[in-house]
Amino acid sequence: MRRSIGTTAAIAALALAATACGSDDSGGGSGEGGKITVTFWDTSNETEAKVFKAVAEEFSTVRSDVEVDYVNIGWDGAQDRFKNAAPTGDAPQVMRTEVAWVSDFASLDYLAPLDGTPAVENQDDYLEQAWASTQYDGTTYAVPQVIDTLALFYNKALLDEADVEVPESLEDIKASADAFEGLEAPFYLRGDDPYWFFPYIYGEGGDLVDADAETVTIDDESGVAAFEAVRDLLDSGAAITDTTDGWESMMGAFGNGDVAMMINGPWAINDAAEAIGAENLGVAPVPAGSVTQGSPQGGWNYGVYAGLPEDEMEAAQEFVAYMSSADVQQRITEELSLLPTRASVYEVESVATNEMVEFFAPAVEVAKERAWIPEGNSLFDPLKEEVEGMLLGQSTPEETASKTADRYRDLLGWQ
Amino acid sequence: MATQSTQPAQPLRSGAATEPAATEPAVTGTAPGGPPPGRAGRGERPPRRRGERGPLASFGLHAGLLVGAFIALFPPFWLLVTSFKPRSESFSLSLVSEFSLDNYDHVINNTAFLTWFGNSVLIVVVTTFLAVFISSTTGYALSRFRFPGMRSLMWTLLITQMFPMAVLIVPLYNLMSRYGLLNQPVGLIVTYLTIAVPFCAWMMKGFFDTIPVAIDESGRVDGLTPFGTYWRLVLPLAKPGLAVTAFYSFVTAWAEVAYATAFMTGEQNLTLAGGLQTFVNQHTQDWHTMTAAAVLIAVPAALVFGYAQRHLQAGLTAGATKS
Amino acid sequence: MADASGPPAAVAGGGVTAPGPDRATDRKDTAPRGAGNGTPGGPGVGTRLRRGLSTHWYAWVMIAPVVTVIGVIVGWPLVRGLYLTFTDANEGNVERRIGVNTIDATYDFVGLQNYVDVLAGGQFWSKLTWTVIWTVSCVAITFLVGLTLANMLNRKVRGRALYRMALILPWAIPAFVSIFAWRMLFNERSGILNAALEGGGLSAMSWLTDPFWAKVSVIAVNVWLGVPFMLIAMLGALQSIPSEQYEAAEMDGAGPWQRFVNITLPGVRSVSATVVLLSCIWTFNMFPVIFLLTGGGPVGSTDILVTEAYKLAFQRSPRDFAGSATWGVLILLLLVLFALAYRRALRKQGDKEGVW
Repeated sequence: MRRSIGTTAAIAALALAATACGSDDSGGGSGEGGKITVTFWDTSNETEAKVFKAVAEEFSTVRSDVEVDYVNIGWDGAQDRFKNAAPTGDAPQVMRTEVAWVSDFASLDYLAPLDGTPAVENQDDYLEQAWASTQYDGTTYAVPQVIDTLALFYNKALLDEADVEVPESLEDIKASADAFEGLEAPFYLRGDDPYWFFPYIYGEGGDLVDADAETVTIDDESGVAAFEAVRDLLDSGAAITDTTDGWESMMGAFGNGDVAMMINGPWAINDAAEAIGAENLGVAPVPAGSVTQGSPQGGWNYGVYAGLPEDEMEAAQEFVAYMSSADVQQRITEELSLLPTRASVYEVESVATNEMVEFFAPAVEVAKERAWIPEGNSLFDPLKEEVEGMLLGQSTPEETASKTADRYRDLLGWQ
Repeated sequence: MATQSTQPAQPLRSGAATEPAATEPAVTGTAPGGPPPGRAGRGERPPRRRGERGPLASFGLHAGLLVGAFIALFPPFWLLVTSFKPRSESFSLSLVSEFSLDNYDHVINNTAFLTWFGNSVLIVVVTTFLAVFISSTTGYALSRFRFPGMRSLMWTLLITQMFPMAVLIVPLYNLMSRYGLLNQPVGLIVTYLTIAVPFCAWMMKGFFDTIPVAIDESGRVDGLTPFGTYWRLVLPLAKPGLAVTAFYSFVTAWAEVAYATAFMTGEQNLTLAGGLQTFVNQHTQDWHTMTAAAVLIAVPAALVFGYAQRHLQAGLTAGATKS
Repeated sequence: MADASGPPAAVAGGGVTAPGPDRATDRKDTAPRGAGNGTPGGPGVGTRLRRGLSTHWYAWVMIAPVVTVIGVIVGWPLVRGLYLTFTDANEGNVERRIGVNTIDATYDFVGLQNYVDVLAGGQFWSKLTWTVIWTVSCVAITFLVGLTLANMLNRKVRGRALYRMALILPWAIPAFVSIFAWRMLFNERSGILNAALEGGGLSAMSWLTDPFWAKVSVIAVNVWLGVPFMLIAMLGALQSIPSEQYEAAEMDGAGPWQRFVNITLPGVRSVSATVVLLSCIWTFNMFPVIFLLTGGGPVGSTDILVTEAYKLAFQRSPRDFAGSATWGVLILLLLVLFALAYRRALRKQGDKEGVW
């Protein structure tokens, strides 16, 4: 007994020592042999990840003293996880940052200012809109990676079968509902992600907030009209939705031919084309609401973690410059049809003739910029929850608009 | 199932130390039902009297148990079945569509699963050893001595066990952040000790209570100090108690979700509870990967449990406690 | 135990009280009579302390590790957490170590503002209502099912060992794994549960997306997870009832129901009291089931107090640390009050053995 307790203690002590030793190598940093490790948290989906991983790891050919540790983390928890990691000093050196997260992270001092650093190369080449999302308080906190917007994806065969033209408005979709026989509904309406609500809100001429006037606008007439339009699509049987697992259900329904149309972004092109056949996949501008046609500008940037020692900072900045260089952007577009953020890349032959780019590039040009405020992403949760309530039949469109607005006012302290 | 009669820790109910028979399954006819056709008990003592019931009651009994067993078994069973299906078939209803081990291959080779597994094992094992080690003397002191501060210690231990995770998680997060312990196994170990130590101390007290005081007295007669008595005489007898306590804290830490999710963020630092969540969330739904990982997590846990479960009942009836 | 994954935490907490010699009477009083009791009129503090030290030092040394550990890793955070509830701390103003940069805390003392906000807002009360419903239904159903199954298992049944094994299997699997399994079964479009319903000619259910059914689902899963513990505890209690009692009752002509009411129920009473108390506390704090099964949805309808407190601090943006800590403190207060009331109620009923 004595021995066994002694052993126990020894094992515990050893294990603890092992824990203590083994714990420092997690966040990257300088590895053995003087090699610098740049940990890169990528949030891309499974199809995209393969390409990004390969591209990122090839950075070693540019800087042989740097090793890239590519980590793919789910988009879902990415913002939370970065926020958990950042104040602990254990964040990745480089983070793929959604356009709406930049100001949030920057306002908390989690991102390093990049003006005048190696990270920013040939700044004038960046699309103006893409560049705008990297700014917070007059300082650059990120470098654009890809730009995107939403569009209408449709199944050509099903539309032909039903003898329906590509719809230009929500009215068109509703009117055509009966023509699609044997489908649950012609259209899948993504109900669990607020980003997908923007076309309806913009379509009625509304917006979440007016940042310049510091007012909440979601409960205007236009906001209510947008929620009514959503409600109407579902009630009329023109659309189906889910309040959870929306992505999977949407891609499943579209891929199986249960629905003929969905709204989606460039990131879904590969998966959608694979599911229904590339020749079958059509992409068109988002259907208009009663006022106009509008889709949100989205995209991703590269952010560099603020708390890096000098050598890592420099390596991370160079890594960002590499990842956002024209060559890499071109390659990513060729392989994934994602939209580059550099004007020069659009002039490259292979990019200019890419069918998806041909469609999406003009769409992005007219996409609506969101208010890049630190609270930008915090606006999503209330919207998601209130719309969920509406989809479940717990509240009317008016109530949804006013409840969302109340929560925004609490959050922002605006009118 | 005479398991509990074989388990060593049976002096748990205070009376049982001297009368092991009390923990044997008593064959009772407590429920409605008439005389049954006698069935031979397996390995149990010949019943003094057989509860008897009619065929109908017998049928009802089996039906009830079968339904219960089915409900208990089906979810894990379905998880196992699904883990052998390819991704596209994850939700198919057939038992075996295309049997494949691809999911396992994927989980082991293409994800950080093994790292997470290692993290979990390290954290949980260290937590368990430390907790049992730190708390056993306290359990003994609480069981044997009266001393100023004892009541308040007992109360502290009790209240601490009631602590909702919510009351400590924010301050712990902030403190760990200040001392650079977030995202480190050490941080999670310390956190789990907040759960395990009070609980182990309390449980150990229960076990020590079941060891006759006469043993201590004999130690004193032999001129041993209280420490000597504890170390040489009592602790060896409490071995099974230590084991059960360790097992409980192991299981609890193994399955902890909230702290693990909030405190561990880097891909390489996740524990299994956090890692499994990355397979299925709003944007990624790799059910096929999740099921294979789940089976790999559940099987060892279930084996350990299967080995230890015969002690469970003993643990549950541990200690007549009265402060 | 916070977030007990399971029942393992054992009734050790309360210790299943069994009739028997009260251990306290066997306990050696390490001190001379009266010492350390702080009896007024005793020797001075210094003398008392010295005498206390000389007589109790080994007890104190023995408890020192636990006292130190609890003081440091529970006491300190607890005090800090309490302090935070009087501030406006959030993610933007607490001390942050951002790698090489350290940013000092800038939050302010706001007095009782957080408590006022929480208690005056509707959120806390609606979550509390649902948490109470959740706790009561989970514990009641689990208890009934556990007791029933224990009664069935406590008889001579062919395949008893197998049944027992099968029935406690949910306990053997880490809860977070089973919860994911349930999520698959509950999947609205393609889960097997709905397939079975449709196969049986019924309409599919929105298990996790309809507020009512989501509540039913989380309760069902929690019951599934909790029954094995209840079953084992109850089986232990049943088996400790001397069979002579039943024989005697039978001779007196007591029917099965009478025997159940007059022998079985009183026999399992003290175990039940402890188990129910513990289950209540665990269920009240049961984080993983809600968090992993529904994430609190739809529209927060299944969020219990602890998951909401967690969300405030780690998921909502901006992260409200002070608010979350306030919820935590209130939850703890509720639990302590509940436990005290429960104990008092049992005492009143003349439960001499006491739960603790």
